Amino acid sequence: MNNIVLPSEKQPEITSTDETSLLVVILDSNPGQKMLRENPHVLTQCVDSVIAFANSHLMQKAQNKLAIMACHSKTSQFIYPGPSKPLDVRQVDGQYEAFTIVEKTTKHNLAKLLSSENSAVITESLLAGAIAMALCYIARIQRIKPPGAKLNCRILVVTGSGSSASQYMNYMNVFFTAQKQNVVIDVCALDQHLSLLQQGCDITNGLYLKVPQLQGLLQYLLWVFLPEPPIREKLVLPPPVKVDYRAACFCHRELIDIGFVCSVCLSIFCKFSPICTTCHTVFKVPAPLTVKPKKKKIKL
Amino acid sequence: MAYLITREAIKEDDEGFLEASIADIIQRAKRKRQALKHGSQKLGMMRHLYILLDCSDSMSNQDLKPTRLLCTLKLLEIFIEEFFDQNPISQMGVIIMHNKRAEKISDLAGNARKHIKYTNSLNRTSLIGEPSLQNGLEMALSSLKLLPSHASREILVIMGSLTTCDPSDINVTIDNLKQEGVRCSVIGLAAEVHVCRKIANQTGGVYNVILDDSHFKDLLFQQVDPPPAAMCLESSLIKMGFPHQINVEGSDEPLTIHVDSTDESSKLTTGGYYCPQCFSKYCELPVECRACGLTLVSAPHLARSYHHLFSCLELCRTTF
Repeated sequence: MNNIVLPSEKQPEITSTDETSLLVVILDSNPGQKMLRENPHVLTQCVDSVIAFANSHLMQKAQNKLAIMACHSKTSQFIYPGPSKPLDVRQVDGQYEAFTIVEKTTKHNLAKLLSSENSAVITESLLAGAIAMALCYIARIQRIKPPGAKLNCRILVVTGSGSSASQYMNYMNVFFTAQKQNVVIDVCALDQHLSLLQQGCDITNGLYLKVPQLQGLLQYLLWVFLPEPPIREKLVLPPPVKVDYRAACFCHRELIDIGFVCSVCLSIFCKFSPICTTCHTVFKVPAPLTVKPKKKKIKL
Repeated sequence: MAYLITREAIKEDDEGFLEASIADIIQRAKRKRQALKHGSQKLGMMRHLYILLDCSDSMSNQDLKPTRLLCTLKLLEIFIEEFFDQNPISQMGVIIMHNKRAEKISDLAGNARKHIKYTNSLNRTSLIGEPSLQNGLEMALSSLKLLPSHASREILVIMGSLTTCDPSDINVTIDNLKQEGVRCSVIGLAAEVHVCRKIANQTGGVYNVILDDSHFKDLLFQQVDPPPAAMCLESSLIKMGFPHQINVEGSDEPLTIHVDSTDESSKLTTGGYYCPQCFSKYCELPVECRACGLTLVSAPHLARSYHHLFSCLELCRTTF
């Protein structure tokens, strides 16, 4: 099945040799998120904040580029720039047309996506897949940019879903790819702490922020995520949290300090077991400690 | 061989450039290799590789620009970086062969920066005499022999000379290498040499002679992927530590010097990683604890190697 709809191919108008920055926002719109199940209206607020944030990004420099993706329960889609032809809008209330286009396109495409999928089954968000799509998009923009132009790319993930260990491998592949491509991944966690994505931020030199209060989402986005990575070091941002790089054992999914690693498939176990459960290798059992039989005391 | 570029295969692109075409050929060769990989193959993941570099008179030849040695060192620098990027829990060492002797430049270790520093310092070595393949192999073997049985042992010989000057029968050395399960690969810079072919064949390695510098790079980078596990490679569970990242600022924690910073400029820092077993402090991972011998890694280091084991599906190109 090929459900990937790409934004319409058009030459990006990167003309100046100036630095341009491309921001890809991934908005988790999965209705299965805990905060959305409790109060579905939160999504409206999130979308409004993200749009305002995206427009602020465009406002910073005329050459700045933007893409917004929605990460849904079964698919991820670009909602700005959408697959269809850009809307033709006239100036409303004195607002800059480009901002109106961003707002209208995003809301229109998101509404289409939300109405097309209304299954009751709760599945976890496919964030790793969405990040992979964003990386592909960035790679394409990098390829077709005129020679000499410099394009700084970053991805911002706005999500309220919980962390999932089942996508571990996908996440890691995506993070290392981003690291190789010099793409910064920022994560704004709305509801729960996400240790996996936090590792990704650390690997790609991005910022991780768990929003303390959802009401102030726009404020956090503007203060923390709007400045570009080179400028961030000059600002006083929330201090980097200690990233927990301990591994989870494959047998009980518990974080461990000292563990045993299979030399063949690098699976991690918290206890010594004679057979690897992942690759079914039989291990050489370490020589048992020879316990000297105690001499019986001669009873007097 | 997939690499060979014939005049017919090269086509100009729309703007009349040739580079895109050559990049395309290399890309296709890469894809071919990727397709050959089997997911179920047992690989030697904990690699211990000695690079045996010829520093004899023949390396001053100028058929590679500017000289064979400088070109090799340049490529080795990129190779070392890529090797540790793809195999973070592996170790590497460098031995040079010149004037009929072998000399160890850097010992088996997992720090890429240190190796790059040592190899870069080689550009001022005097290129004299003949290399001795046997002395070099024996030196590498004596160090690889001591490794635990689960370690994958490898030697990569970069040979510019067509001759070798050995103290005794090299066949005995080859047999020893075979017995210890050391995989020897050879990259020849000049022409095919029988003894190199024999070493590679007997020990399960590969032997190739370069065509030009970009082929050299391609051959070198084939060594980045972990090889299939040797027959005698035992599997075992290895005890490893996953240290916490500790960053104390402005607290009463005393500033401590890192245990591993003995040779370089010692710095006083507050952050670092503590060995969960003996609480020695290190500023970088992965490392083997000097005090208690525990291998210290972080979870992403292991995850970095997973893509060799569970290879990605082959992507196909579609047009929209």
